[in-house]
Amino acid sequence: MDQALATCLAFPPEEPLNDDVAYDQAIQAHLLKLTKLLKDPPVPLSQYGGQLLELTDPEYNSLSYLAVLHSLCVPNLAGPREFVLVKLVKFLLGFDPRQIRYAGSHLSEILTAVCNGSLLPPAAAVEVVSAAILKIDPTGSMFTSTHLQLAKLAYNTNNIDPVLKVVEKNIVFYPGMANSKRPAMLCDMTLSPSVYIHKDTGFTNPVKATSVLEYDLLSGMMFCSKRDWEKAHAAFERILTFPTRDGGCSKIMAEAYKKWVLVSLLSKGKAIPIPQYTGPAAAKAYQILGKPYKEVASLFDTTNAEELRSEVEKSSQIWQDDQNVGLMKEVLSAYQEWQIKNLQKVFSKISIAEIRQQTKSAQTGTILNSDDDIEALIHNMIISNSLKGVLEKNDDGTVFLTFLPSSTVLSEAEYAQELAKTAVQLKALEPIFKTTNERLGTSREYIKHLIKDQKRAADKSELDPTMGFESHVDDEDLMGGVTSTA
Amino acid sequence: MASTDPILHFFTIMESQSGVIVKETPKLDLDLYIANYRGRTCFDRLLLIGRSSVPLCVDALKAAISEAKKGKDVQRYRDAWECIRIAAPNDPESQLDTAWIDNTEKANKMETARLEAELKQYKNNLVKESIRAHIVGIAKHLIGIVLQRRDWPSVLANVGKMLTGGMSDEEQKAHQPFQKLVTGIANLHSEKFYEAAKNFLEVGDPSICQGCNDIASSNDVATYGGLLALASMDRSELQSRVLDNSSFRNYLELEPHIRKAVSMFVNGRYSACLDILESYRADYLLDIHLQPHLPAIFSAIRNKCIVQYFIPFSCVTLESMNKSFAKPGESLESELITMIRSGVLRARINTIDKLLVAVSTDDRAEMQAKGLEMAKNYEREAIERIRRMNIAAADLEVKGTRKGVGNAMSSISGETWFDDTRRQLSQGESSAG
Repeated sequence: MDQALATCLAFPPEEPLNDDVAYDQAIQAHLLKLTKLLKDPPVPLSQYGGQLLELTDPEYNSLSYLAVLHSLCVPNLAGPREFVLVKLVKFLLGFDPRQIRYAGSHLSEILTAVCNGSLLPPAAAVEVVSAAILKIDPTGSMFTSTHLQLAKLAYNTNNIDPVLKVVEKNIVFYPGMANSKRPAMLCDMTLSPSVYIHKDTGFTNPVKATSVLEYDLLSGMMFCSKRDWEKAHAAFERILTFPTRDGGCSKIMAEAYKKWVLVSLLSKGKAIPIPQYTGPAAAKAYQILGKPYKEVASLFDTTNAEELRSEVEKSSQIWQDDQNVGLMKEVLSAYQEWQIKNLQKVFSKISIAEIRQQTKSAQTGTILNSDDDIEALIHNMIISNSLKGVLEKNDDGTVFLTFLPSSTVLSEAEYAQELAKTAVQLKALEPIFKTTNERLGTSREYIKHLIKDQKRAADKSELDPTMGFESHVDDEDLMGGVTSTA
Repeated sequence: MASTDPILHFFTIMESQSGVIVKETPKLDLDLYIANYRGRTCFDRLLLIGRSSVPLCVDALKAAISEAKKGKDVQRYRDAWECIRIAAPNDPESQLDTAWIDNTEKANKMETARLEAELKQYKNNLVKESIRAHIVGIAKHLIGIVLQRRDWPSVLANVGKMLTGGMSDEEQKAHQPFQKLVTGIANLHSEKFYEAAKNFLEVGDPSICQGCNDIASSNDVATYGGLLALASMDRSELQSRVLDNSSFRNYLELEPHIRKAVSMFVNGRYSACLDILESYRADYLLDIHLQPHLPAIFSAIRNKCIVQYFIPFSCVTLESMNKSFAKPGESLESELITMIRSGVLRARINTIDKLLVAVSTDDRAEMQAKGLEMAKNYEREAIERIRRMNIAAADLEVKGTRKGVGNAMSSISGETWFDDTRRQLSQGESSAG
């Protein structure tokens, strides 16, 4: 026991490790000892593992802590449940991200166990796994198999708030990218997440296209339940424009398209065309499969509430089969709000009574019953910030709505600040861009091409019997040539 | 009473065929009007007036019948007769002149046979050279035919052909009226009002134009040119291209009301301008080329008047707008709403204080919003491009089965895949640059 404790406390050493090389050497050595301890313990760990956890610091001795915790949690919980779980939570919220890079698979296994829901109650599980994911990769830009497990757990148990900070991140890296370079030292904190998160480091399992699609679909649906239509729209759009080849299209993509159409109505007030870079076969499939949805969408932007209502009613079985009943209800209830919002394109001031006459509810297909109802509706819209305007009362008692300009003029300083903010965000893309550029620039195919190209350039200087004809063709081929290797 | 009933019956039928019906008495005098034209267009115009104008119906149809009988086209006679049979069953013209039909048909058949025989002979003798020499004449003839067939694209194509032959300046000048006139008519029917207006304004020499009266009269040139210019040009352009146009002035003298309307518009007296045009509505509706497009032309002019009227104000009472533009007792509001919705009029209605308020465009705010929007889009696009590259690199694309849908399909999709990746790569490069 004492010996085991000594091993556990041996890292990090008291004197600071000044550079990555020293750190790497020390932790590798420590890792060997820990492995030996776990593989061949003098006394089974389950007996005194608890004590070890009590005496080590999850934030300071993270690697050792993880090793002990892992043996107590996986495959089955050993030791006093309450005690181990408290330690587990403490660890997941506080571990040192540098140390645990050396035990990715152990951490992943623990996270998987937590996501399975057997250890912690769902609300807590979502909270700690979200925190852990962002500790492993603070940029949140790398997709892992854990992401999908977490999203499933959060959506199915309706614990959405704690996971938002993960699903709101822009994911740009995916496991299994060709020509990913192996890191010299995992402890290098400047590494891109795409380098140290890898199936070889254990932080993720290999993923399939469906995993990525499913994750985005779950994200979209979670944003829907938060009524954040903008973000839901972006998430669904990522799915329906997912890169395809050989005329590919999947069921999830078609499902996402249907939801995307409805969410466009909610976030933009009208149907918008699908992005140009959508796979052509997929676009064709959407056209056929999404027909009832497009019909609803085409009516949303008109003043014909009754027709919209009957169109929605007509295909109610379809919405049910596609599990879009809830979204469709949102669409119907949002219709009148958009009608009112659109009035500001024509009117600057308009009485409540006139608004009531000019806009209809798509839920009933008729105008609202009283001026009070419409006033309440507008009141709510103003409060929820979806409409910029004020309600006022005339001397003769007429209540009317004054629309306010949607954008206010920023001062020069404010504008500069806004622009600077965007510049910072763009700057933040730089490491991502650099990583991608490096990876592509050092790929075998690209280098082959480069060499060929240089050779050709050298040849060219000699007398060319074809008068440069061939090189001309190849110049053109350069664009296509890269393609064929992709 | 007995004579009005058949006319009523006739126009009920016309209405059911969704024809245009003009109840008001036009200012034109039928005999004088038709004397302006020669050739086949006379009959077309008469028949149109007969089918559209209630007051002139029978007179026009009778004239159409006699016009048809002057020619050899039996079908035209039958068309006119079909109308007069219903509109004026008691008139002698409503009796079908079968003797004339038989004789004319017989003569036509013989003539056709003769011409075909001649054509064959010419073809055999290969006298192409002499055909080529008359390319302009042939083009003109062709245009006359396609014009009657209302095949507007072919009109434009043939005008093009006419111009390709090397012509001296003199010749060009001689052909200009014809060429501009038919181009203008074709553009009018293609609803390219601005182009058409320019064509009519450039017709040129009135004495030559007079010779084109088998298509349109000089009066028509003035009317078409003036109306279309009003519908499509702004005030300064109207001044320079219409009023200060010395060659077009000759035409305007024929239709002084058009000249008056244009100068009213230029001087900002919009309601007076509209009043003049409105008083001639019946005449315009009885014109063979204007009839189908008059509602669009009038509404364009009206919209322009309203927009122009409103330009100097930041805010106008709806009452004064109504006074200037609405018919007595009616409100302009719904028309204004349509104009604002379609983006013609940049204004908002204030129904509380009964005002039309100009949209004050804050260029600064707009620029700022645009700038921020652009930056945001740039970021989003950059992320999306990198994401797509990395999905491709991780071999995570959704793949189709090549065997699946059939060979045609798979070859298409194979191609698009290449296109797709290429686009991504080139995008990647461009974002790098």
